[in-house]
Amino acid sequence: MLQKQVLEQFQKIVGPENVDDGEVMTNAYSYNWCMEFVNSMEGKEPLPFSSIPKAVLLPSNVEEVQQIVRICNKYNIQFKAQSTGLGPWNQPSSDNCVILDLRRMNKIIKIDERNLFAVVEPYVSGAQLQAETMKVGLMVHMPGAGPQVSPLASATSMNGPGFTSPHTGHSARNVLGVEWVLPDGEILKLGSTGLKNNSDWYIGDGPGPSLRGIMRGWAGAKSGIGVFTKVAFKLFPYPCSTKFKLSGISPNYEFEIPDYMKLYVIDCKSYNHLEKVFLKIEEEEISFICSHLSSYGLGAIFSNSIESLLDKIPIVGMKVPLVVLIAARTKREFEYKQKVMSKIMIDFKLENVIGSKYNPNSLFYAEALRSNLGLHGFIATGGFQSSKGQCDTVKVCLKTTKMSIPLKKKYIKRGVIGNDFGEGVWITSYESGHYFHIESPTMFDQTDEKSVKGMAENMEENHQFDLIKHLGAPFFVEGDKMHDLFGPEMMNYHIWLRKIKKAFDPNGIADSGFYISAK
Amino acid sequence: MNDYESEDTLFHSLAKICGSKNITIDPQNLKLYSNDMSFFKGNSPNLITWPSKTQEVVKIIKLANQMEFSIIPVSSSSKYRHHGDTIPRKDNSIIMNLTKMRKVISIDKKNRVVMIEPGVTFEELIPKLRKKSLRLLLPLYPTGTKSVLTSVLEREPIIIPRYHWDTSDPLLCTEVVFGTGDLFRTGTAAGPGTLSQQKKVGQAHVNPMGPTQFSPYRVIQGAQGSLGIVTWATLKLELVPTVQKVFHYHSNNIEELLDFQQKLVKYRLCDETFILNNLNLACLVKKTRNEIEDLANSLLKWNLIYILAGRGDLTNDKLNYLEGDINDLMGDSNLEHLESSNLIDRNEILECTNNYTSEPWRTRYKCSYQDIFFISNFENISNYIKKVELKYPENLGIYFQPINQGTSYHCEFDLYYDSKNEKETKDLQGKFNEISIDLMDSGAFFNRPYGYWAKEVYARHIEETSIALRKVKSIFDPKNVLNPGVLCFDE
Repeated sequence: MLQKQVLEQFQKIVGPENVDDGEVMTNAYSYNWCMEFVNSMEGKEPLPFSSIPKAVLLPSNVEEVQQIVRICNKYNIQFKAQSTGLGPWNQPSSDNCVILDLRRMNKIIKIDERNLFAVVEPYVSGAQLQAETMKVGLMVHMPGAGPQVSPLASATSMNGPGFTSPHTGHSARNVLGVEWVLPDGEILKLGSTGLKNNSDWYIGDGPGPSLRGIMRGWAGAKSGIGVFTKVAFKLFPYPCSTKFKLSGISPNYEFEIPDYMKLYVIDCKSYNHLEKVFLKIEEEEISFICSHLSSYGLGAIFSNSIESLLDKIPIVGMKVPLVVLIAARTKREFEYKQKVMSKIMIDFKLENVIGSKYNPNSLFYAEALRSNLGLHGFIATGGFQSSKGQCDTVKVCLKTTKMSIPLKKKYIKRGVIGNDFGEGVWITSYESGHYFHIESPTMFDQTDEKSVKGMAENMEENHQFDLIKHLGAPFFVEGDKMHDLFGPEMMNYHIWLRKIKKAFDPNGIADSGFYISAK
Repeated sequence: MNDYESEDTLFHSLAKICGSKNITIDPQNLKLYSNDMSFFKGNSPNLITWPSKTQEVVKIIKLANQMEFSIIPVSSSSKYRHHGDTIPRKDNSIIMNLTKMRKVISIDKKNRVVMIEPGVTFEELIPKLRKKSLRLLLPLYPTGTKSVLTSVLEREPIIIPRYHWDTSDPLLCTEVVFGTGDLFRTGTAAGPGTLSQQKKVGQAHVNPMGPTQFSPYRVIQGAQGSLGIVTWATLKLELVPTVQKVFHYHSNNIEELLDFQQKLVKYRLCDETFILNNLNLACLVKKTRNEIEDLANSLLKWNLIYILAGRGDLTNDKLNYLEGDINDLMGDSNLEHLESSNLIDRNEILECTNNYTSEPWRTRYKCSYQDIFFISNFENISNYIKKVELKYPENLGIYFQPINQGTSYHCEFDLYYDSKNEKETKDLQGKFNEISIDLMDSGAFFNRPYGYWAKEVYARHIEETSIALRKVKSIFDPKNVLNPGVLCFDE
């Protein structure tokens, strides 16, 4: 609970109805998905609850956020901001913290069809924005987490791989103008957004050095460097017709597949062959989706239940699958892309099982267009999380995959994680094959203490493995412990990151549980 | 210690690091660095040093912190330096000339990436890459003697917007020595592991983001050498097309051309594309003043160039699809004033988009020019044209380059003049300042604030920007030894 005088000041800012420090609300906000294994990794009881926030505040605009942050500085209370709030990164790391739930900041500020960008507030979801951008033939890059999450959070604070990354890149690289409340309460506006006269959102870099480099890296700062209240990011041409015809009842919808889309599911048989095929397809700049999944993962993306997963024998038997979705705006483009794919199939002696051995439900195509394939990771055990998260060449991604199989199998053998034969990864290309990332979705049972602890151990061992084998920094290098582990092996970057934290958050007010403390 | 003793000590200390033959105090040489092609006035450096290894750069920067002198990094020996960013502003300054660091460290065709040192120039790199069927993402007809790395660090616009996925492209990973003298590697090059350990597992340093939760390469870029000195970088490449088809349309209606071009960019239909006014297109493709004037007089005012390209067995299929789709777009649009032009040989245009020039193409018309450039959205472009033309109606070259996937435009106004004519030069200087200020007041976003612009630019930006940038400076160059006085970093 808050001190009375602090509560009153918060109430004055957001209105009494938008601040709550009562037990019911604060306890509810301490729950989040995957919190149990984060607790386990920190040596705590594997419960799905974080520290209980002192209060929950619902600001409605940037001025209110600024005033709250100033009060936090005045009374030495930390804050943790959340948008759509998926995952442990939204949770406070101490008892001296308030949550800023940004759900009232839910407006699409602008869709600029001519300059190809959108400006949104934190609680706009990918699906909400996509529905609007489709009206003008455009699409938004959505992270693998799905269309239900906040594109602002992905662009400013989280990570940003998506199924459509060959076509739409990475969230961090799509950022234009930004409105950012710093941990000391000052409002920073990046790029052209900071102009005093004729301000607009079309670029986020300069004048001079780009402060986007302080805002985030490959991973975001998870509210550890302030609160992002608006962001502009690029929009991309919708890859095919925007007519979206859906019928039926959840989850078994029927979708009328738009003109000019074709799916290829190919068994490359070996990782070496996959590398060559991956690079060739991406060099040709034809894919909308180009992802490698394990055969098990492949079965999962075409399934909505365990029962339906089990009938995917023709594809689950594949050794090294590659999923390619091509999409086109015109018939000419479509025919050209098909010709390229046909040539690649012949040159590399490949066979497309789609249309011959297997036909997915039409809903798959809708989910692909909405970047909604990640949810299938939950089917088998009800819970999953990804270890790894490296990003560089396809070669390092595949090497990581191969080298990590025995490690994963060890935990499968113990019965603490789901059996994907150790091969369960997702690798996607970005920007037509200029770089690739790998993550290893790992299924576990969130309700089983043994499984949660096993998952935590598996995660820890993966981190050590990646570090020792020089495979790159995984996603979840965040928090002091991880930075202190990886920093000395990575040019002592943690020292620089701490200096940034100290300079921009001198009072340590932005919760650094998933970032870094100034120490 | 008096000034002479102190200079002597500095000379000897530097000589210990990189050898006395790699240092000069020759006044004539020093004078070359006290001015450039811009109007910016600064000081002469105390000496010039040519390090050839990263460790020498580290030691010199540490020495600067210890002995309190300033370092101005320069990456090429080109006489065509511009914009005042390499002119010392303080008395006690040295030039760190990086031209001896000129290795092309690796060319990786499979991953479409090259690793180069700062002294590598366009005239060296373009042919080397072409031999391997690779191409750099080029600015418009770069000068051959210019450092490729400097061009990238200064965010010079590249001419293929669909390959401009982020403002920072084509810059990927870097090795940088911060103003503290600390060596660092950005992006995936940070590790874990040494570069050779990383290469062993297949990394090629193609991911610029990070390490982890910050991206220092973004703050180094655009810093005019004031935060760190980059000792190598990896750059994104593309495969060389086997066929390139050039299209040239001209019109007196800029909106119509911009509209059409926007569709080409939005649907990623073309590779290179840019818009030039008649004078600038003539300067680009012709060499003598007479040729330039003849061509400029034949062309309509605005000229759109775009290039379609293909590779391999399906090249014709690709070109047919692209041309067919573009024709449909043209048919669907109301392009009343657009005319296809055959006034320029297509190979002359390809030379400018694929190659380098021995001298800057902007010096061809009247030997001298001053360029005013900034970023804009589409809507304000016509207004900016009106403003500049009102104040400088003649001898004005104009260039619009869509960047960053078509989300904004690099707008450039080249004011041509004869610098040997004192009155013309003086008038031009006044106009240059007046037009620059007028554009800034109208909201033009000068994202690369050089020389005298810097103070005016930051005054028109919210104060928090300068405050935040100074915090960054205090982290990476706390003693202000690197290029002091540039941007919002006071002397």
